[in-house]
Amino acid sequence: MTNGKKLWQIFGPVLIAIVAALVIFLIPWQGLTPNKHAVKKAAVSMSTNVYRGEQIKDIALKENYVPFIGSSELSRMDPLHPSVLAEKYQRDYQTLLLGGPGSQSLNHFFTLQEMKPAIRNKKVVFIISPQWFTKGGQRPDAFGYYYSPLQAIDWVLNAKDSVATRYAARRLLAMPSGQASPMITSAIEKIAAGQKISGLDRIWLSGRQRILRNEDAFFSSIRLDNNLQKIVKAGKQLPATDNDRELMQLATKLGQENTTNNQFGIKNSFYNQRLRGKAVKNLANSQSHIDYRRSPEYGDFQLVLQQFAAENVDVQFVLPPINQKWTNYTGLSMPMWRETTAKIKKQLTSQGFNHIIDLSADGNQDYYMEDTIHLGWRGWLRMDESVKPFLTEKQQKPTYHINNYYFTKTWERSLN
Amino acid sequence: MLVINLQPYSSPSYFILLLLALLPIIIGLYHGKRLKVYETIFTLVFLLLTFGGDKWEQGVTLIGYIIYQLLLTMIYAHYRGKTGRANKTHVFVIAVILAIIPLAIVKATPAFAHGITVGFLGISYLTFKTVQVIMELRDGTIKDLDWKLYLHFLLFFPTISSGPIDRYRRFKDDYDNIPDRSAYIEDLKKAVHYLFQGFLYKYILGYIFGTVLLPQLSHLAMQQRGAFGGLGLSWPLIGYMYDYSLYLFFDFAGYSVFAIGISYFMGIHTPINFNRPFQAHNIKDFWNRWHMTLSFWFRDFIFMRFTFWIMKKRWIKNRVRISQLAYLVNFLIMGFWHGLTWYYIVYGLFHAFAIIINDIWLRFKKKHQDKIPSNTFTKYLSIFITFNVVCFSFLIFSGFLDKLWFH
Repeated sequence: MTNGKKLWQIFGPVLIAIVAALVIFLIPWQGLTPNKHAVKKAAVSMSTNVYRGEQIKDIALKENYVPFIGSSELSRMDPLHPSVLAEKYQRDYQTLLLGGPGSQSLNHFFTLQEMKPAIRNKKVVFIISPQWFTKGGQRPDAFGYYYSPLQAIDWVLNAKDSVATRYAARRLLAMPSGQASPMITSAIEKIAAGQKISGLDRIWLSGRQRILRNEDAFFSSIRLDNNLQKIVKAGKQLPATDNDRELMQLATKLGQENTTNNQFGIKNSFYNQRLRGKAVKNLANSQSHIDYRRSPEYGDFQLVLQQFAAENVDVQFVLPPINQKWTNYTGLSMPMWRETTAKIKKQLTSQGFNHIIDLSADGNQDYYMEDTIHLGWRGWLRMDESVKPFLTEKQQKPTYHINNYYFTKTWERSLN
Repeated sequence: MLVINLQPYSSPSYFILLLLALLPIIIGLYHGKRLKVYETIFTLVFLLLTFGGDKWEQGVTLIGYIIYQLLLTMIYAHYRGKTGRANKTHVFVIAVILAIIPLAIVKATPAFAHGITVGFLGISYLTFKTVQVIMELRDGTIKDLDWKLYLHFLLFFPTISSGPIDRYRRFKDDYDNIPDRSAYIEDLKKAVHYLFQGFLYKYILGYIFGTVLLPQLSHLAMQQRGAFGGLGLSWPLIGYMYDYSLYLFFDFAGYSVFAIGISYFMGIHTPINFNRPFQAHNIKDFWNRWHMTLSFWFRDFIFMRFTFWIMKKRWIKNRVRISQLAYLVNFLIMGFWHGLTWYYIVYGLFHAFAIIINDIWLRFKKKHQDKIPSNTFTKYLSIFITFNVVCFSFLIFSGFLDKLWFH
């Protein structure tokens, strides 16, 4: 055998493998779209693949799915959960659940980047958690869990210099995720400084975007959590028709049945798993020092708001209650709670976000909460009373007036 | 300005860059020439990529360290070489201590001062190389030390961060003797094979065991930390033990074959580091198959030295006792080398006792050969027992028990 032939035997397969890999990852695989059932399953999976990816969100938005953006409460899938109601009664809209434990405004801003332009002029339901507004704001590790380079690249490639854009760039750079890839970091640094990214950056980022989009198309719809099964099963407990009175009776009944082993109105299983015994004793008066009134989260939240305004999205906000029997026990300050929700509402209404379901003072209502801070049974139903007409009836066009004051430290520290 | 920092063997772009940079070296060797100047520049550039950017502090420490070790070794070589007879024990001991001090400081610092970072990726492996050269200078097996080649040996790029640990004389032979064309083609074949074995190990198997399964098992095991009166013994913990062991192997073995593969491209036959360790049929056999260059280094420069020293001084007469003590010292030092935490030290002690018990068993077996069966079943049984003992030791090593019990 000649040396040339030997070399070919060694390196030939390597070259073929490299070419094959490039072909697979660099060709736009537009034909490869998930089927209707896969999208249905993905929409309620709360999987990070969906949250961090692009394709499934995009397809869902082009159908009748409405993004329900929030955090951990979305996973409380009792029979009155928005997804169960929409699925059981085959409403005109279906839910696309975006978020999970630990996802906050900054993540939501970046996941929205992948939904442009499909989200333009659409409706969204956005559940705010006052618990996001802690002194430190977004936790970097949780941010990293919901962040994807595709979100960042989608944003960078379309970024126009503005206060919001620079703010977002600075925030991303402050997270370890923003430092993970040197090329992306360098592009974000330019944007933070108000500069344009170079042509070379653009070429590289576009190539990377192509690869990531393909990865998203290949892998995002596999290994999804099967919440759909859970939702269909939960729906079987619901009355046959979408009837307010019957639903209310069921919610009350379920609430009663499931909160029998503790004095806080907390779901039995949650109490058994997370609180029973030493844990609950240690939590007495443990929250008296907590303050949600001053937080970097206010600026991050503004980032989301200006994005909604820019895409002319009509948003139904939900300010959930907090379990008052529980907060009486843990010593969370109620004046502080009221000032927090007032501050959030001011940020919303002053800029034209007027659809707000404010349940923040309803923490003493029976069976509104499934546990300490998460909506359940009657709480979900109370939310549905407003969400259903908002989504099924025609709404007036929103007019927003974004105020960059809400990005400032002054607002972050201000009490009103 | 774009500050690049690339961690060795960590991403596809790293491999592409590395192979492109290697191309002139490969073409040179194919035509029977070693491009020494280019190799030096290549090494410097890749060191800069590894220790540049936000890792610059590590880079500065590395330079300081290298100058220090180079001076130390050359002074000792000069002392030994002047007459060939000057060979005082205390000079040797001082030289070894001076060579180890930087590593000892780096290893001890995190235990006392949290948050201060001294040292750099790979300091251990450089120390092993230096100590080895000093010891061989003492023995006279290395006579003349060429500082340029020594520097090249220390900074040999493919193995700098995590081994395998090569030996100076072996390295010198490969460096000086360029393989003929057909031998080099064989090298290239092996290099590509190793590289792809590494991809399979590190990026597929290591990913499955480490990135996919490990966090889930860790999460499940932590949820049951109250089980067994606070010991946290649970099925997920056992799963964690096996999964971590497999992850550790595939990740580290993958890393090692990358280093060996790249060395082969450069015409250097860096020794292998793993030889099917989970097929070992006793603990001694395991250490001949697991992280081999490290365990051989410990064997040659700690175990053997210690044994000879005790024998020479006649402090202990019984040979069995001597080797048992030597095992204890050997593995205890290995434990301390991993870091000053209880679980590394317990890991070292665990292996010391395992190998001592193993030794007693082997002697017992030899004495009663006629009565103890030896067949296919006992062979697999011994592999099974060894595998489980080793996995348990890795559970200690992982530090997970520390997290489970104390944090």
